[in-house]
Amino acid sequence: MIKYLFDLVKGIVSLFEGLGVTLKHCFRRPITLQYPEKRPDISLRFRGRLVMPVDPATGDNRCTACMLCVRACPNHSIDVEKLIGEDGKPKPKVSKYIYNLGSCMFCNLCVESCAFAAIIMSDEYETAVQNKASLIMDLAAEKYKLSGKKAPWWQSKFKQEEGA
Amino acid sequence: MIKAPFEMEKISDEEYILNMGPQHPSTHGVLRIVLKLDGEVVTGLYPDVGYIHSSVEKMCENKKFEMITPYTDRLDYLSAVNYNWAYVAAVEKLMGIQLPERAEYMRVMLAELNRIMSHLLWYSAFGMDVGALTPIFYAFREREEVIDMVEGMTGGRLTHHAFRIGGFKNDLQKDFLSRLEKFLAKFEDRICEYEALLINNVILTARTKGVGILDKDTAINYGVTGPVLRGSGCAIDLRKNAPYSVYSKFDFRVCTGKNGDTWDRLKVRMDEMRESAKILKQAAAMLPAGEFCAKVPRVIKPAPGEVYTKVESARGEFGVYMVSDGTEKPYRIKFRSPSFSNLSVLKEITIGSKIADVVAIMGSLDLVIPEIDR
Amino acid sequence: MALLKELLYNSGKPLSEFSSWMHAIWAGWGMPGFLLDFIFQLVIVLAVTAVLVLNALWIIYYDRKISALMQIRKGPNRVGPFGLLQTLADTVKLLIKEDVNPKKIDILSFWIAPLIIFIPTFAVFLVLPFGNGLVPADLNIGILYIIAITGLSVIGILAAGWGSNNKYSLIGGMRSAAQIVSYEIPMVLVILAVVLMSGTMKMSGIVAAQSNRVWFVVPQFLGFIIFLIAGNAEVNRAPFDLPEAESELVAGFNTEYSAMKFAFFYLAEYTNLFLTSAVAATLFLGGWQGPFLPPIVWFFIKTYFVITILCWIRWTFPRIRVDQLMEFSWKYLLPLALLNLVVTAVILKF
Repeated sequence: MIKYLFDLVKGIVSLFEGLGVTLKHCFRRPITLQYPEKRPDISLRFRGRLVMPVDPATGDNRCTACMLCVRACPNHSIDVEKLIGEDGKPKPKVSKYIYNLGSCMFCNLCVESCAFAAIIMSDEYETAVQNKASLIMDLAAEKYKLSGKKAPWWQSKFKQEEGA
Repeated sequence: MIKAPFEMEKISDEEYILNMGPQHPSTHGVLRIVLKLDGEVVTGLYPDVGYIHSSVEKMCENKKFEMITPYTDRLDYLSAVNYNWAYVAAVEKLMGIQLPERAEYMRVMLAELNRIMSHLLWYSAFGMDVGALTPIFYAFREREEVIDMVEGMTGGRLTHHAFRIGGFKNDLQKDFLSRLEKFLAKFEDRICEYEALLINNVILTARTKGVGILDKDTAINYGVTGPVLRGSGCAIDLRKNAPYSVYSKFDFRVCTGKNGDTWDRLKVRMDEMRESAKILKQAAAMLPAGEFCAKVPRVIKPAPGEVYTKVESARGEFGVYMVSDGTEKPYRIKFRSPSFSNLSVLKEITIGSKIADVVAIMGSLDLVIPEIDR
Repeated sequence: MALLKELLYNSGKPLSEFSSWMHAIWAGWGMPGFLLDFIFQLVIVLAVTAVLVLNALWIIYYDRKISALMQIRKGPNRVGPFGLLQTLADTVKLLIKEDVNPKKIDILSFWIAPLIIFIPTFAVFLVLPFGNGLVPADLNIGILYIIAITGLSVIGILAAGWGSNNKYSLIGGMRSAAQIVSYEIPMVLVILAVVLMSGTMKMSGIVAAQSNRVWFVVPQFLGFIIFLIAGNAEVNRAPFDLPEAESELVAGFNTEYSAMKFAFFYLAEYTNLFLTSAVAATLFLGGWQGPFLPPIVWFFIKTYFVITILCWIRWTFPRIRVDQLMEFSWKYLLPLALLNLVVTAVILKF
């Protein structure tokens, strides 16, 4: 009987404890981020969609069409075409860099395999498109201009290499 | 003339069959459970898995070793790091790679952060299952902080692809330790708040105590692992019983329940979060300086042979059995996923309880469907 | 100015004066008096309904804001200033949505269910005193009328559960029937204690009985708690939202409902919430009585106080299980309510 009453009191106290927690939170600031107007602070290493940024020094991308990224990709999301020069011989330059956003799983393996820091995972996270065909994009033709805090980070990558 | 929905003679007292899922608010993914009901009481139950089978194991046979790591992320998107770990450890064991000390500590830290992430999501989802709609917002507030921390380190929010064979690709970011300290300082209080809000609530204890009792023997017979097994009073935790990496250096407790009912499983998870915080504190204090990646050959070609590695993931024992034939790709990979075994015990413990209990019990098993279906 | 004050503080007198004045003119025109009464009643009903629908829209917003406050969110804040027009936008959306009729439904009960739930909810407000003399129809069995009419809504839920031809809906409807029937009894017993204390079933009489003494919440505190619990169960709100338990029954009895029919359910649910709170305020918190402010303001303040408590409970507690729900009603609430009634009767006698 005493145990029963004790349990009853404990139960009622637990109810009020719960009410107290919610009441306490009434006076805390909301954690909502009003999304389209305010954006979250994206970390430097965030892996958004793959881009091939234009090097501001040369005004061209840094790709040499070495195919390392194609081989590194687990899903075959990347396809590279070499630039064929006027003399009919392939040049160390990319003519088409086909990237399939639909099958990409943002694992960063292609970026890690690249010896020239030609590609990078950007901080673009709104990657929804209207139709499936626009998921397949040509990164070389896009001439993406990297901005934000990723830009100096990316440039420091190859500047170090060239300096060394 | 209004037509009756069905003819009267067809009405009989046969069993009421209810399809829970594949699209149902409480199956947490694409799981179908066929319930046989007598009023509100469940008399039969049949879980139907395989809706999102993606043949990951077969896919892995056609991938190079380093390519498989991101796939293991996707088995369990809630504690991806632990699943990375089992796979990466298998390759490292085959190749005989010795990790630098710092990498081991970093791995422990990320794995424990992942465990906290996973348990926080379980907590909020369980709250939804039993009809409390507020816990999710409180738990996600902390989970967001953890995710931000891990994202800063690895670059991914859920599918981190954190581990590479031999260690890491990046070192911890500069503010990682300070953020971790800030987080851990208030996390203990937050867990107490969670318990006051949901776990100790008398309505919830009335709903979960004595419900879905899983006794020790049944649990072991079904190969149940993780918090579900520990809830049944079996103190088996791979971090203690078969310590991998540097887990033997930490001081933590294996949390167990007494009766093996649903409430014990909840309590075990809440306690485990506390223990994880404890491990994180110790690891942050003991973190050595130095390299974060071992010397790994450019082309990964393990010697022929077979290997089994296991880790204690947030859901239980996750094991990787791998056969290598000496090429760049594994000959065969088998994943031993904890949720599959944990699901198989569902039938044993739910028969005779109510519909609402099925939901609560399923929530307490903490299932992740892609990992069951693989 | 004096008239306005009179209208606000002592609405009964000017209204009846206005009525008899109109009657005199009407009789001067040689028209029968019942016609005018009919017109008056119609105007009153329309006015009350309009107020209640607007109020239901506002309560939905209020509930969402309360929940946002507790869940450290911001709540609706996009449509209109502070998101005030959010519910209006939602209603318009529901109005213009496709009305889905699944195959093999029992079309009659499927269509009539929202109406059965919707109409009694509004009919109940006929006897509720909003202010001093501001009561649409002051029946001398007012509280009995409220109990009788609210009991009707269970038929609507049952009809919705049956008519949808959906297993989840059927379970939801059955649960609701059991729940409302078993929570009606402790509620009625508590109301009976209040009736004993006030000596009348007239709603305005109950309010008047609280004017010279303390509010009934003090002597009937246990009764107030039981009334809140039972009332919360009657309006199917958490932790007693079993008929529409989302995680178990998808949406319970309104799984198959869409568009305007769903809006009916939704409005009825929130009007029911307002009703329970208003009845609680009238029976236990002294109705429209209070210092400084006009009676109607006090009535709404008290009602919203009760609504806030119910919202607070809703957003804190997990859902109770169906057998525990029955057990709680029959094993705890009913004996307590009986005890409350007997003690009240004994004390009043001596």
